[in-house]
Amino acid sequence: MTPELVDIRPLLAVLVSLACAGAVFAVRHRARWRAFWSLAAAGIKFALVWSMLPGALAGRVYVYQFGELLPGVAFGFRVDALGLFFALVSSTLWVLTTIYALGYMRGSHSLHRFFGFFALCISTTVGIAFAENLLTLFVFYELLTICTYPLIMHNEDLAARRAARKYLVYTLFGGGLILAGMVLLHSVTGTLSLAETGILDASVGDHWLLAIFLLLIAGFGVKAALMPLHAWLPAAMVAPTPVSALLHAVAVVKAGVFGILRTIYNVFGIDLLRDLGYADWLAMLAGVIMVVASVQALRQKEIKARLAWSTISQLSYIVLAAALLTPLAALAAIIHIANQAFSKITLFFVAGAIERGTGRKRVDELAGVGRLMPWTMAAFTLASLSFIGVPLMAGFVTKWYLSLGALDAGAGIYVAVMVISGLLNAAYWLPMIHQAFFKPLPSEPGNDLRNRPRVSSMMIGPILVCAAYVILLGAGASAPSMPFSLAEAAARFAFELEVPLE
Amino acid sequence: MIEWSHWLPILAMLPLVGGALTPLLFRHRPAAACFWAVSVASVTSVVAIALLLRLVDSGGFSYAVGGWLPQYGIELRMDEVGAFAVPASLLVLLSLVFSRHYVARAVDASRVSFYYALVLINLGGLNGFLVTGDLFNLFVFMEIFSVSAYALVATAREPIASLAALKYLLLGAASSLLVLFSVGVVFAMTGTLNLEDAAAALALSSPMPAGLALAGLATGFAVKAALFPVHFWLPDAHAAAPAPVSAVLSALVVKAGIVGVLRTLELFGGAESLLQPLLHLVVWLGALGALGGALMALVQRDIKLMLAYSTVANIGYIFIGLGLATASAVSGAMVHAVNHAVIKSALFLAAGAMIHRTGLRNIDDLRGLGRRMPVTAFGMAFTLIALSGAPPMAGFTGKWQIALGALQAGHPSLVAVLVIAGIVVLAFGIRVINALYFRPPARVAVASATEAPASMWLPVLMLTIASLALGLAGTPMLEFVGPAAQSIYGTLP
Repeated sequence: MTPELVDIRPLLAVLVSLACAGAVFAVRHRARWRAFWSLAAAGIKFALVWSMLPGALAGRVYVYQFGELLPGVAFGFRVDALGLFFALVSSTLWVLTTIYALGYMRGSHSLHRFFGFFALCISTTVGIAFAENLLTLFVFYELLTICTYPLIMHNEDLAARRAARKYLVYTLFGGGLILAGMVLLHSVTGTLSLAETGILDASVGDHWLLAIFLLLIAGFGVKAALMPLHAWLPAAMVAPTPVSALLHAVAVVKAGVFGILRTIYNVFGIDLLRDLGYADWLAMLAGVIMVVASVQALRQKEIKARLAWSTISQLSYIVLAAALLTPLAALAAIIHIANQAFSKITLFFVAGAIERGTGRKRVDELAGVGRLMPWTMAAFTLASLSFIGVPLMAGFVTKWYLSLGALDAGAGIYVAVMVISGLLNAAYWLPMIHQAFFKPLPSEPGNDLRNRPRVSSMMIGPILVCAAYVILLGAGASAPSMPFSLAEAAARFAFELEVPLE
Repeated sequence: MIEWSHWLPILAMLPLVGGALTPLLFRHRPAAACFWAVSVASVTSVVAIALLLRLVDSGGFSYAVGGWLPQYGIELRMDEVGAFAVPASLLVLLSLVFSRHYVARAVDASRVSFYYALVLINLGGLNGFLVTGDLFNLFVFMEIFSVSAYALVATAREPIASLAALKYLLLGAASSLLVLFSVGVVFAMTGTLNLEDAAAALALSSPMPAGLALAGLATGFAVKAALFPVHFWLPDAHAAAPAPVSAVLSALVVKAGIVGVLRTLELFGGAESLLQPLLHLVVWLGALGALGGALMALVQRDIKLMLAYSTVANIGYIFIGLGLATASAVSGAMVHAVNHAVIKSALFLAAGAMIHRTGLRNIDDLRGLGRRMPVTAFGMAFTLIALSGAPPMAGFTGKWQIALGALQAGHPSLVAVLVIAGIVVLAFGIRVINALYFRPPARVAVASATEAPASMWLPVLMLTIASLALGLAGTPMLEFVGPAAQSIYGTLP
């Protein structure tokens, strides 16, 4: 039995960004204070979440309960390995995204609204990560929906309104499915706890189990951009780049994926799912998405649209890995939350920097950008190599364990699917790099890019840090006290294994 | 040692007498009339809270008016259903505070003292209705709050107000007649008007006249509660009334219809064979009302009309819960009655503040008001989300319990109804939020608007906070009404 400690840090980690949001709304138009509060809260949260890492690695579980929201359903936090891993990723990225956003958004309108809701989003994300039960998770999950809405809407023009409406329709629909699934779950089990390795058992009856599985997976699948529930994600590209980064890497899609992982590992449990066989179908769906979304990405001409489709493809790696139900695949699923996040956020930051620096948004306009912005494009190169799966990069680690896990599960076909997806990734990233570095800058009269506006160092800095992380997560994965060991602990818990995985 | 039960008649008599005195004392001094009404409502609220504490402390108690013992005399009693007098008194109090500046514009100066009188009389009728222990007084108090409600709708300056009031009056009078007729039938059958005694006698009686009485009472109260399909008087009346009155009507007066239904169920608790088909019917009518009301709200352009249709939807939820007759569904429905009262009065008051400041009531015309009236707009946005039933706000507790009850009773399709209706509610909520915050002002009145006076935004803010606090207090509330749900239905699964 894991020792549980009552600790206020999970609560503080959520409250810090909430307080930050309040402070940002309160200072209104004073930019310096806004920046101060945003950065201070990001820093404090970062420190709080990381301070729980040593304890979690030593096998401790931090809990904090407020009391019951409904009879038998508490409202509380419980920091287990999986939750802490997700919280680590998002709180680390929040620091970087905040710095980047301060640089990128300079001069935009309604900035107090922007940074206020930005902070709220992270508050709710950490709430999702630390939720002790499905209802607490759902509370924060829905709050996240509501808090991202003003961010997508930020430009307040027709395109933004359309995208935001689409986002809301999809996510609220998903929320409704989760709610229905949760009611079913509670009525058959009487609990919504996420502390177990499965609260359902076969005695519930097949049709109920199937209904709960479909409702929860489809519900969380909306935010996880599981095809065919993905259409909001490419549409939401109209939002400012830091928001796209937040949606794609830090908070929203990860919240969906995290929900799927919770459903598989903590609601159903490995053993029950293996008996039921639903996960095979989910894995098959994920395999198809992986390829289809990559092909779609190849067809996109806008950089951010290509990134969006690539996200859809990458998320299905996580879903596939989780659905394979083997320990090593589970490890791949969990670490890919971090690997995809850091690689994808690098790409988004770069796309935003290129847009600010040169005004270019399309894939075929990249010629010569590598010479103008060498550091930025170097980071882009690293991150895209990670997606292709080049060793030493973060993405390789995922693919390695995912392949091992697939072979364990006797599903070698998925290794082939991954190879195809890797090739497709190469097909859409490499030409961009080639253009940027090896094509000359077109000389257009009246549009001399050599006199372009300088890109703020507050944007370049986070790009380089993220790129460094991509290497660190790849090359230094098994260094002690890295989040990797946390992911391993989470996978061990799900499979109730005592010994290390390898 | 104070004899607590003496306070029970005060709960009803104080606002009734205070209301009757208002036009006499303050005919030409509207400000003093407001102060007077607020004072009376405050004292009533304190009495109600004291009685509630006593109820929590040592269970229900009753009071024989004039010392005449029940069966012959008039019995007043305090139970968990009667405890609704606390939110009723407090909400009326906040509506009265809100009225201070609102009525100056919305009501003719010559009618202001009558306005306050009617609100107080309405409160007295409601409180009396909640605590009365016999059938005839149930009817009398119902007439008091109903007639004052018709008149209150008619006080508005809106062109359609008198027509809406007339519609409300006709429907209301018909339903009152049905109730009176049924009370007569019960008296003829049992020889008593006391609820408990009559219930005991009815359990043994023959089904035929009893069934007639049940149908009459249920239909009568269903009209008062605006259950689909007898809801059609509600949207016009609630939209045309002055905003604080809309708040009282939507939050409390329709809930009194629900309480009437609960008392009817209590009365016929022993006659299960009669009750079952009725409960079954109520579930599906409630489901239709929930979906239909939410969809109708979605297509409205007038903000108060939208809120009025959403009341129809919420009444639908409550009836689903009452009809399902499982412990969690019934207690969920009872809690939702309170939570919806708080949320909906916040919404009507916020809408009233906006209308007061801009003179506009079309959602599209209110664009951009979020920056002009930050507190009011925040209150409206927050409570709209609470209305949709997003956890952990107040709208969630009841819907969750009702959904659980639906599964227990073997109706999974009702869960879909609840979820879909919730999403539709959120959809129109988002429409309003969009207009308030993400659109530039389209009207001069909006661009030059400023925040409403504190007497308006303070009640809105307090109700907004309450709509979160009550959501967090879901468990104690459910535990409080749990025994009452059990005793009304006999035993619940």
